[in-house]
Amino acid sequence: MSVNQNKIDNEDLIICRCEEISKKEILEAIADGARDLRGVRIRTRAGMGLCQGRSCEVLVRKIISQQLGTNLKELPPSTIRPPVRPIELRLFRGNNNDFKQ
Amino acid sequence: MTLNNNLDAVVVGGGVIGASCAYFLTKAGMKVGLFEKGDIASGSSGGCDGSIMAQDHQPGYDTNLTIISNKMYKELLKELDWDIEYSEKGSILVIETEDELKFILDRMKQQLACGLPVRFVDKDELYQQEPLLAPGFLGAIECSSDAACMPIQVAIALVRKARSLGAEIHTFEEVNDVKLDKKGKISGIVTVEGEISTSRVINCCGAWAPFLGKMVSLDIPITPRRGQLVVVEQTAQVGHRIMCEAHYIVAKFHPELAEGADSDILKYGIAFNFEPTASGNMLLGSCREFAGYDTRTTLPAIRAIVQRAIHFIPSLKYLHCIRTYAGLRPYTPDHLSIVSQVDEVPGFYIAAGAEGDGIGIAPITGLLMSQIILGQKTTIDTYPLRWSRFSES
Repeated sequence: MSVNQNKIDNEDLIICRCEEISKKEILEAIADGARDLRGVRIRTRAGMGLCQGRSCEVLVRKIISQQLGTNLKELPPSTIRPPVRPIELRLFRGNNNDFKQ
Repeated sequence: MTLNNNLDAVVVGGGVIGASCAYFLTKAGMKVGLFEKGDIASGSSGGCDGSIMAQDHQPGYDTNLTIISNKMYKELLKELDWDIEYSEKGSILVIETEDELKFILDRMKQQLACGLPVRFVDKDELYQQEPLLAPGFLGAIECSSDAACMPIQVAIALVRKARSLGAEIHTFEEVNDVKLDKKGKISGIVTVEGEISTSRVINCCGAWAPFLGKMVSLDIPITPRRGQLVVVEQTAQVGHRIMCEAHYIVAKFHPELAEGADSDILKYGIAFNFEPTASGNMLLGSCREFAGYDTRTTLPAIRAIVQRAIHFIPSLKYLHCIRTYAGLRPYTPDHLSIVSQVDEVPGFYIAAGAEGDGIGIAPITGLLMSQIILGQKTTIDTYPLRWSRFSES
């Protein structure tokens, strides 16, 4: 996926909208030792909000790759954890026997 | 970064325990290097909740350790220049049956003797305080000093502070070997980047401590115990304190009271645990299971955690789960951490094995390790935490 370069040059630009994290904060996280999506996530909360990084992940990857000079394809993906999208807790019904044939 | 080829101490592990050891040793004037195979807090410190809780501990040494450590957190807030989201929000232990009530009230007397600020909250007061709690509970024990923090930020804050005081921080640099001299003393480590000489190595690898132990022919009895957690969306928090259940503590000492419980609760070691976080989310736990080094979450355990939470706070039903995660608690057979020198390998030290209490006791663990290494009088007796206890029995 490509990102228009000019659009992410502004350091005040909010990259993670769920947690309101700017590009500047992401750059600081990388300077502090973050090398991948998880490193940025734990230092800034980018990707820890309601959408779990589904919106900002592409942009954060791009910024990391620019800063560290790593190939975008070589950056590991973020840890995938269920659920794929927010679900109501009442849906966790039933018990383990439901899986048995 | 250029490697300092002669370090006073090498800390292996970049979780809260390693970060705390690095900080206190550096503060004491030592030239310290911290080596971590991944990023800071990439293991258990990044896969747990943030409770700094004393009320769910055994009254006595275990409780005292947490009381001291919690006080240290308040001092650390003044020293660290990074927000660790510490809040002394208090906790309540909810009581469901008459059998639990009797046991818990007896236990409270022992907790008071330890100096823990606990009190019984009767049914009327409990429902005034927690109107969203399901009906039918008998009361609760409140502990006003229990607190919560953000464990990842604790590790980052301590590492940053240690670095600013002169410690070398080597993340993404795995230790592949530990070198001994002809007399069997520690002489250095070998990492992917090269060799570093040092006369002291501190094993702060948590659930992975046995791997570093093997490099010096030690068999460290730590087993990974998986805990899974549920993250609830940011919305009006359904409780403002840490909440947990009395049943689990009672069942530990009176297994007959656990009979008839849902089989999934026993199978996955489920106990209701609720933690409102500084970000506005809520964390639901807990479970304890032996599953090797697998850090995935599983539907049966997550479902049991959620159902148990809804049993206590029904309105959670309509809130959303945004993520699940898991971490490996470093379990020891006697449920006590190891904070000790190792006599058979001079220069080798262990600070690991706190199971689910690593966040709570991280400050005191780092301080004790620095006192042990410098030969100072320790803040609390470290005899119960000694390494040699495993070869005595």
